[in-house]
Amino acid sequence: MGRASSKEDAGALFHSLRSAYAATPLNLKIIDLYVGFSIFTALIQVVYMAIVGSFPFNSFLSGVLSCVGTAVLAVCLRIQVNKENKEFKDLPPERAFADFVLCNLVLHLVIMNFLG
Amino acid sequence: MRKFWVIFVASILILLPFLCNSFSPDNPTDRRVLVLLDDFAIKSSHSSYFNSLKSRGFDLDFKLADDPKIALQRYGQYLYDALILFCPSIERFGGSIDVAAIIDFVDSGHDLVIAADVNASDLIRDVATECGVDFDEDPSAMVIDHTGYSVSETEGDHTLIASDDFIKSDVILGSKKITAPVLFQGIGHSLNPVNSLVLKVLSASPSAYSANPKSKLSTPPSLTGSAISLVSVVQARNNARILISGSLSMFSNRFFRSGVQKAGSTTKHEKSGNEQFLTELSKWVFHERGHLKAVNVKHHKVGETNEPALYRINDELVYSVEVYEWSGSSWEPYVADDVQVQFYMMSPYVLKTLSNDKKGLYSASFKVPDVYGVFQFKVEYQKLGYTSLSLAKQIPVRPYRHNEYERFIPTAYPYYGAAFSTMAGFFIFSFVHLYNK
Repeated sequence: MGRASSKEDAGALFHSLRSAYAATPLNLKIIDLYVGFSIFTALIQVVYMAIVGSFPFNSFLSGVLSCVGTAVLAVCLRIQVNKENKEFKDLPPERAFADFVLCNLVLHLVIMNFLG
Repeated sequence: MRKFWVIFVASILILLPFLCNSFSPDNPTDRRVLVLLDDFAIKSSHSSYFNSLKSRGFDLDFKLADDPKIALQRYGQYLYDALILFCPSIERFGGSIDVAAIIDFVDSGHDLVIAADVNASDLIRDVATECGVDFDEDPSAMVIDHTGYSVSETEGDHTLIASDDFIKSDVILGSKKITAPVLFQGIGHSLNPVNSLVLKVLSASPSAYSANPKSKLSTPPSLTGSAISLVSVVQARNNARILISGSLSMFSNRFFRSGVQKAGSTTKHEKSGNEQFLTELSKWVFHERGHLKAVNVKHHKVGETNEPALYRINDELVYSVEVYEWSGSSWEPYVADDVQVQFYMMSPYVLKTLSNDKKGLYSASFKVPDVYGVFQFKVEYQKLGYTSLSLAKQIPVRPYRHNEYERFIPTAYPYYGAAFSTMAGFFIFSFVHLYNK
């Protein structure tokens, strides 16, 4: 009885998550897609390093940092742009986007330098 | 008249420096030889040997060993290039010569020939001991061999022995094989096995021993067998050469001309091997043979000709040196396949055999090891009978400069790709985000 109900609960949870997610606005979904892409790239690099070894360690760090950094900045953008978020109600979304672009530029400057 | 004599003497004195010729690095064969004798009868009884030396261009100066006017050097300059001591019974040299003077003479690069005999004096024994050779302590002991003696009509005491146990070296004994045994009658000596500079040229047979032939043996003899050396040579580290023989009569005309038959063998040789043996040996001792010089050490990177001041690790370089051998009258190219060069810093990192082009040019090319520091190109060549070559040339080796590494590391291509794809993704995303309605 308990096991069957936990399975049912997991299934119900999954379905409710999916339907709730479907209701999010499109721009947030695009940001989520971008975050997912950059995390996926980071994971590929980690797997590659596990296979080949960490010889140019600075290049590895630089590659992973670019993915993780841009993911973090995209998450920040999503937080600031989300209309349901009461904390950033007065922040214009253009300001959030400008911050995002500026931070990304600095991030990519740093990783180009550190890439070797 | 007086003025004429003054001018004559002055002109002679001016020309004197040009008249004296001695051995020099360009012409290593000795020229002036001082021969010290016990008495002048030796000069005639050993005339064959002296004539063979004279015919090869040596300037022999015969003096009695206790002549008070003999001197090896005057005003700091040596008067002779080589010294022959045919005076086994001299107790004290005349003039300014003594053991220390003789050793200084050898230490300054000059050659020495010592012939001892039975009842050799302590002085001669001292000189020989300084050179690395120990004669038998018993002054009246001679080398006796009951199975290797020379057969003669009278039944002797077997002190006249015939030996054919030569050192195997074409440089020292000449390329022609000595077929007849060498007659020897005298004292034997032994060499310290630790000493690497002294060589046994003529050894006694395993049945020989050193004892007094006139008295009965009370104790077993100390020197026996092949450990007894009849004739030895020493090549010092400054390339001075010393010949030490235990028999003066070995050099005499009588031994040169006599036939020899070794006991136990049926061949009777018409002429003993003494003349050939001693002539060839004298050629070696007086630097007519086996004298090497190494010149023109060069090194450069492969493909260039100038000599750089320092190398980088993993450079390809070429090292070359020219080695010549003195033939008695001119420098001939030395041909051998065992000259090696080391690239040395505390221990040899690279050891390569140099290949020669048969004209005396030895070269090798190798890669600088992956270690940086101050290295030396070292050539240490010591071959039996030849002068030793010792060359060293210092050269620093530096690591890579920061711009001599490869620009893009192939294993890091995925990371480069990831960074650029992130930038492209960011660019596309920003467009999509802005223009999305």
